[in-house]
Amino acid sequence: MVIAYDIALWMDWDRPHWAGFAVAFISLATVGQSLNKGVMRMLGTLVSAVVALTFISLFPQDRWLFILIFSVYIGFCTYMMGGAKLQYFWFVCGFVTVIICMDAGPNSIDAFQTALLRVEESGLGILVYSLVAMLLWPNSTSADFDTATRNLASTQHQLYRLYLDHLHGQGNVEEEQTLRAKEFEEQIRFSEFLDAAETDSYEVWELRQQWRFYRCQVADLTETMERWRQSFAEVEVLNLKHLLPNLGVFCTELEGRLAEIERMLDNQAPQTFIKLINLNQNESRARRLSHFHKAALTVTLTQLQHMDQVSRNLFETIQDIKGFGSPSTETAKACMPQAGLMVDTDRLAAASGVMATLWLAYLAFIYVNDIPGGTVIVTMATVLGMAMSTMPHIPIVLLFIPAVISVLFAGILYIFLMPQLTSFIGLGSMIFVVTFVICYLFAAPKQALGRAFGLAMFVTIISVSNQQTYSFLSVANTALMLLPIFVILSITAHVPFSPKPERAFLRLLGRFFRSCEYLLSTMRWDPTRTPTVLDRRRKAFHTREVATLPQKLITWSSAIDTKTLRNTTPLQVQAVVTSLEELSFRLHELLEARDKPQADFLVQELLEDIRAWRLRIQRMFQRMSEDPTLGRQKAFRSKLTEIMEHLEQRIEETMDKAAEGQICDKDGENFYRLLGAFRGVSEALVEFAKHANAIDWVRLREARF
Amino acid sequence: MYLIPRELVIGGVYFPPLLIASMFGIAAAGATAHLLNRYRLSRFFAYPPLVLLALSVIYTIVIGTFLIRG
Repeated sequence: MVIAYDIALWMDWDRPHWAGFAVAFISLATVGQSLNKGVMRMLGTLVSAVVALTFISLFPQDRWLFILIFSVYIGFCTYMMGGAKLQYFWFVCGFVTVIICMDAGPNSIDAFQTALLRVEESGLGILVYSLVAMLLWPNSTSADFDTATRNLASTQHQLYRLYLDHLHGQGNVEEEQTLRAKEFEEQIRFSEFLDAAETDSYEVWELRQQWRFYRCQVADLTETMERWRQSFAEVEVLNLKHLLPNLGVFCTELEGRLAEIERMLDNQAPQTFIKLINLNQNESRARRLSHFHKAALTVTLTQLQHMDQVSRNLFETIQDIKGFGSPSTETAKACMPQAGLMVDTDRLAAASGVMATLWLAYLAFIYVNDIPGGTVIVTMATVLGMAMSTMPHIPIVLLFIPAVISVLFAGILYIFLMPQLTSFIGLGSMIFVVTFVICYLFAAPKQALGRAFGLAMFVTIISVSNQQTYSFLSVANTALMLLPIFVILSITAHVPFSPKPERAFLRLLGRFFRSCEYLLSTMRWDPTRTPTVLDRRRKAFHTREVATLPQKLITWSSAIDTKTLRNTTPLQVQAVVTSLEELSFRLHELLEARDKPQADFLVQELLEDIRAWRLRIQRMFQRMSEDPTLGRQKAFRSKLTEIMEHLEQRIEETMDKAAEGQICDKDGENFYRLLGAFRGVSEALVEFAKHANAIDWVRLREARF
Repeated sequence: MYLIPRELVIGGVYFPPLLIASMFGIAAAGATAHLLNRYRLSRFFAYPPLVLLALSVIYTIVIGTFLIRG
């Protein structure tokens, strides 16, 4: 930061703090991570310069058309920020455009110079930081990446072992829950380090296709193991040792593969290689099972076979990466999800909020006489709004105190210390010490926003330049400017929906059940008829809602203040969300099973019964979308038992009627998968109702400040 | 009757009375909201954020009229 300031001042560039900003915001733990962020910042700045100059030149005399198009662009950038990729790039694309437009917009004579200055100084900051990081403190990501990969493989192995114990009736649910949370965090860390290591490690870059494929397979294994665990409740009454005679050998083989993966990640050659084991079921014993038990067995068998495939892929990929085997032919492209263009309502809401913030700040700037800060109020409100849009569960109030402290701290330095400094040595030392202290005190990832705020306020208030002037009014104005900014942010946060975690939790819960209901209703579609484009889009939208809402609910549930809920602990709230995740998996399985071809004979005979079951579940979803407290575990359980007994009898009759060869093995398997999936959804609903009973919904719904 | 507002001087710095009154008003509204939450009285309001805003305005006017006169 000191070098960047020195060069900018030596070049006699206006606003040298922009170079300081670039250094402050791209600095991360390793060179790779910082370089990635630096590249995104540079690209974003270049795009912003072009966009900002285009807007200024298109609407030089029409402020309303200018702000209209400009706010749409900012909304688009905010929407894109919520995606899985290039979040920082889109953030820079948005906020740098705001800075240039608000700086040069009211007086467009210097617009080109302002835009170029921003590009130059960002480039300078990034270049200086990159050189310092690479030459003075070359902290490569490789070691962190290796550790993250090993930790993740080890956690998955431990979790697999725990699940095996669970299957054999010796499970430790709490330990499983802890390990699952650990696995989730490690997966994120592994993914972040992989992206960074591709930049600063040639070895990782050379094998990036294999590593990306490994990342996909690791995610697949996590999901499959989770589904497998959820099916334990349905197969615990079965004697799996007799039904699947080689289950023990099969599970040992899977565990061996996971152990060998860990071994290879430690750069040791594998001691054993993959053995292909066919998991066969004992047909004569399976035939004696009830139809629902057969269905549960089929579901478990499918999951185990999928785990076999995934663990084999993981083994071969690591073998290839570490040079212990032949090159793997699989690539990451094979497992990339094809999401398509799909609107995300939460991201859309965030984008609308930021657009409203921009409009309110702009209107305040135009209509409130001598508002403190002038155009800076528009810039700061929009930038803060964009930053907050990615973490809506954090209350605005929490940011106010760090903001005030930052202003006070920077103000004291600016008023009392800076006038005593007579050379750059003194100024450089002060910048070095303050930057070091802020980064050291706010080093934790959770404090990132506080760190960014502290550095931004410090750099803005000291406003270093070659012709340094000091004015108490500038500090007072900056402090006063915070008030309207936070008022605007509070208004946009509260309109149209309350940002309180309890309210957001209930809202998302309602959306989840509505989407579940819609997806179940699509099961009535005639499989022989191709649905319309609109129907397919709606189905894809709700499928994604059901898949992503549990994750969003986890974030919101962690922000709920459980002290206000009588006898409700954070663990109980967490259990409700976990049961929703289970429901989401089960519903996904049901839709998959529904898409498989079914024997005409079975469809005709059992259509009415299956339809009645579907309608019943659909009604439950519909009722719970209006009121999640309506779920009663005992009532659900008794209904489920009643349905199952009736269906068992109907299937028995149908099977007796079926002529020899009328139902082939594949048809039977598909039918049992569908049956198992129906039961899975019902069981997951019972599980949700069980956990939901523990929550104090009355207090959760109460209006609070 | 004073037509020109009197400013408050703290350490040689002049502050407008409305600023001080509004700061106390917001603090008092925050304290009231905390107490209403504590005793579960907030459930009787349809939209608490609006109540908080209204309380801030009321407190600011009261403080500005009786305690920190302009």
